[in-house]
Amino acid sequence: MGNSCFGKRRRTDHAYGPQVPQNVNSRGEEAQLWSPVPRLYPDRPHNGIVMLRGSHMFTCDMNYIWNMDVESLVLLTLKEIRRLVDNNQEPPLSIIRLNEIGESESGWVQVVQAMISTIPMDDPLGPAVIALLLDECPLPTVETVEKLYDILKPSAELAQEALHLPAKHRNFTCILGCVAGILAGLKSVELLKDSVLEYLLTLLDPKFAQEVVLFALVALEKFAQTGENKATIRKSGIQEKLMELEKYQDSSLTKFREVGFCAQWCLDNTLPIDGRTLTFEGLSMEKCNVILNDHDVSEYLKISADGLEARSDALSFESVRSTFCVDEGTWYYEVLVLTDGVMQIGWATKQSKFLNHEGVGIGDDEYSFSYDGCRQLYWYNAKSRPHDHPQWKPGDIIGFLIDLEKKQMVFSRNGISFPPVNDVFQSVCSGFFAAASFMSFQQCRFNFGMTPFKFPPKVPFKKFNDYAFLPPEKKIILPRFQKMKLLSSMSISESSCSICCDMDANAKLVPCNHGGLCMDCAVQVEQCPLCRVKISKRIQLSPADPGLYQDEIG
Amino acid sequence: MSTSAGLPRRILKETQRLMAEPVAGISAIPAEDNARYFHVEITGPKDSPFEGGIFKLELFLPEEYPMAAPKVRFVTKIYHPNIDKLGRICLDILKDKWSPALQIRTVLLSIQALLSAPNPDDPLANDVAEQWKVNELAAINKVLTVLDMI
Repeated sequence: MGNSCFGKRRRTDHAYGPQVPQNVNSRGEEAQLWSPVPRLYPDRPHNGIVMLRGSHMFTCDMNYIWNMDVESLVLLTLKEIRRLVDNNQEPPLSIIRLNEIGESESGWVQVVQAMISTIPMDDPLGPAVIALLLDECPLPTVETVEKLYDILKPSAELAQEALHLPAKHRNFTCILGCVAGILAGLKSVELLKDSVLEYLLTLLDPKFAQEVVLFALVALEKFAQTGENKATIRKSGIQEKLMELEKYQDSSLTKFREVGFCAQWCLDNTLPIDGRTLTFEGLSMEKCNVILNDHDVSEYLKISADGLEARSDALSFESVRSTFCVDEGTWYYEVLVLTDGVMQIGWATKQSKFLNHEGVGIGDDEYSFSYDGCRQLYWYNAKSRPHDHPQWKPGDIIGFLIDLEKKQMVFSRNGISFPPVNDVFQSVCSGFFAAASFMSFQQCRFNFGMTPFKFPPKVPFKKFNDYAFLPPEKKIILPRFQKMKLLSSMSISESSCSICCDMDANAKLVPCNHGGLCMDCAVQVEQCPLCRVKISKRIQLSPADPGLYQDEIG
Repeated sequence: MSTSAGLPRRILKETQRLMAEPVAGISAIPAEDNARYFHVEITGPKDSPFEGGIFKLELFLPEEYPMAAPKVRFVTKIYHPNIDKLGRICLDILKDKWSPALQIRTVLLSIQALLSAPNPDDPLANDVAEQWKVNELAAINKVLTVLDMI
């Protein structure tokens, strides 16, 4: 479970069924006053909170919690989030209370100020909790955020304070990024005041703590989601700063690598500059036969140009699978952990679903199994059980061994193996891809065997990279702007199925006799999509002679 | 599912058509880097209490689309018995009456129609529905207050 580490809420109201709109973080540009927020999903705590506020959840803690000051509530939330792993758990009272406080304008400012002053630098879940709490609170108005500006007075001078108060500025930049994401559109244009832009740009300097540089960069990237801001940011000379920071991509220090990764990603995807070679164009991918699959990934995950490193700066629980899967024998891959927050890394078949907005990822269904080194849990079928490995740290190497003959998986941390597990083999025994899910601001790098493993297992095993094959065109992680351009230039044949627009429309439905769709789509519906009459038979028409019946499917 | 650069052709086709032949009173623009996410604006229908208002919505096409309905919500505050304060919409075609033959454009037309004809008997916002049933005029006044028109 990812963002929904609070778990799913019980629902009684029919109206909150699975149809409710879900959020997507807007990457949009023009003229949107509001941006989407993952505010509405039924599994997500706010719904629970809305329900609960009414009546039935008064416990003896209530008075205690309700009398706590905002700072203590924030710290309590930070502590409780780690423990919330069960699907049916209620959201912690501290969150319900903070949400209530955040309803008013002054309350929102108070909650945000409390987060800025109390969230410590070294808590792996700190920034993720900031993102979650902001998402919990009602959307702020521009005026409310301006109140916050009045108090903190962001400017180039204020940025210098980050030298001795890094936590405060890491938290503030993280909040700016989240707000820019939540309010993408016209509001985000209003919020990117000159002084704010100067504040963030000044922080893009390696003399500041890397966490501060990183979140200033992420905030600028989120502001740049809105076209007008993007133009302003482009003109600010940010690219030179990014090209400096990009050099940290291969640093041996993980905090620097995060900055390097984000700077490079930004230059390749969000703020490309004329004259700079896109990273993928300068790479030799000859020896690389397996990468993270750019076509099998939830929409906000950032994948490096070489396809082996991934990071999420979104609020949703982002997932990805590798391009190669294994069916028999013993296989091993390694992951370099770059951040110490929540990631669920392991094995997943194609049947495993990525529902990023619902907080469902690897280990959250019966077709995948994952290792979570932050909360120290194994995940299978959305249930977790503790393992007694130490909490992971940036720089750790996690090993993933799968033995498809013995039907077991062995996880290791820096070469120390733990007892085998076999849960997932109850449901599936082949077709396993390497796979991972990422909570906000998490990053890791995969090694599928192209470079030597740090801790190769003692048993005989095979490497993905020795057995996989990828044609050169599939080894390219195309930058987003190029991908969108490619999409809009494609055309669609008129004789194609009206449902998928992909296959030939070759099916006819009985008894209603409606057609215009393909057999693949026809078998997925029980009622005719046009007249809702129950389908008793699907008839496949011959491509040569549409009148001639080829095949019948009941 | 067959895809072009990760995006089903169906979504591609709908997007192209939405751009080429926009519907009156409705605009739906895909996000710059997420083709499954649309920024939507619907103008309040003529002769409805919502006339003169511009309503912003977000629309997201889930992985299963078109076999599953798009997810839509209002981001502009609206006082309407079938729309709750978080912008969630109670509309049958977004739930059990979804059909893959429906499209983004038809969904948005239905939402526009819902603004013309609120249905207080199938409420999502109970307090609003109650008000609507007891005293429609007062409810409409409330709409106008929220719209900042009186």
